[in-house]
Amino acid sequence: MIIRGIAVIIQVIALYLLQTSVFTSFALAGVVPDLLMIPVVAVAFTRGPNKGMMTGFISGLLIDFTYSSFLGLFALMYLVIGFLTGYANKIYDENDYTLPVILISISEFLYNLMYYIFFYFLNGKLNFGFYLYRFMIPKVIYTVLISLLLYRLFNLENIFFKRFDRQ
Amino acid sequence: MGHRSRRRNRFKEKKEFNPRFILGTLFLICVVLIFVSYRYKEMFTPARQFVNNTITPMQSGIKTVGKYISDKFRIFSDIKELQKENDKLKAQIDELKNENMILTQEKYELNWYRELYDLDAKYSEYPKVAATIISREPNSYCNVFIIDKGTDNGIAKDMNVIAGSGLVGIVTDVGKNWAKVRSVIDDDTSISGMFLKTSDTCIVSGNLELLDKGYINVSMINLKAEVYDNYEVVTSYISDKYLPGILIGYVSNIGIDAGQMSKEAYLTPVVDFQHLEAVLVITRLRDQLDNLDEVISHDN
Repeated sequence: MIIRGIAVIIQVIALYLLQTSVFTSFALAGVVPDLLMIPVVAVAFTRGPNKGMMTGFISGLLIDFTYSSFLGLFALMYLVIGFLTGYANKIYDENDYTLPVILISISEFLYNLMYYIFFYFLNGKLNFGFYLYRFMIPKVIYTVLISLLLYRLFNLENIFFKRFDRQ
Repeated sequence: MGHRSRRRNRFKEKKEFNPRFILGTLFLICVVLIFVSYRYKEMFTPARQFVNNTITPMQSGIKTVGKYISDKFRIFSDIKELQKENDKLKAQIDELKNENMILTQEKYELNWYRELYDLDAKYSEYPKVAATIISREPNSYCNVFIIDKGTDNGIAKDMNVIAGSGLVGIVTDVGKNWAKVRSVIDDDTSISGMFLKTSDTCIVSGNLELLDKGYINVSMINLKAEVYDNYEVVTSYISDKYLPGILIGYVSNIGIDAGQMSKEAYLTPVVDFQHLEAVLVITRLRDQLDNLDEVISHDN
């Protein structure tokens, strides 16, 4: 249990580093994929809402501590996503690779919507169409493309640990 | 063996909380954190410093790997482009050689004028520290980035950041080996600017919606100001954080704003933010500028 917790923390930090330092060189249409969304949804889907929420909380805090001017908001956003996608754990199947990708796309859109509301809508920037077309949709597409590969790894890890536990 | 598995089972049963209970607890923690950290910013500074001081060296390392890979990719895609560019550049060299000759002559003149005005506080002579961008804001909406130099290299909050001859932004946060820079094109930026030719003041502010066309906003220009396209906008003398006279960009599309009280325009920044990788930080703060009054009196 503790080993898996540490593994998730290391994965989150590694993906954060990739997102902020490496993928900035591979930005498409000016957006970087939201890699941190993938472990949150993957953990919530494969292991239930509690672990998903913890992963989300840690991921959000990492952004809060490094790039936000106050703490807690990103943690809150990822927390809500970890909670909601965690309910899909009831229909988790090891061989299902479609549902998690759909979940990631919905979560990514929801996350961007919350981001827009908190940082732009409340600041009087009402041109939603622009933000939707320019940032949200490209980010969802790019994140989903990356998650096609990355979710497999998370799923394999989960299967491996489950077998390991049973032995 | 049996003993161990029983213990694990008990452990598992104990561990499974009701998700709603955990959601409620963490939600409350977040909300409290938001309010407390918003109200008492200094309280979390040590924790922030700690996180950033550990993360930055990692980013710095991984950035070099990422850059290496992306450069390798670029080699394949760019060969044709480079050949075309090479021809163009060759033609440009001839032009520039010619121009250079004229400029060298003018430089003597300029030196003479400078001595005359005693403008030794010109920003080209400020002490500077070179830094590399190692990470960018993870949500792509903001134009905030982190550089690999901090207090160890004499960088402090509110120092100006330039690249080439243009303004990049300002240091908003600093740690031992990192500094956070908010660029001119960020939505939250607002700089007091000035037209170099006419000394009319204006406000330069970032605008995410205009940025795709390569512009940011200029507003609050005096209605009577005689300004035209391609006039240079520099940082003004009345700004309390920006050093005076740093070039921001060139205006275009000048028009009258909705309130009919002032003019507004678009501004093309001189710095190419898309491909920005290295910057210079001017390690002198606005407050340390002692001979400013002299500069102003000469200028008028």
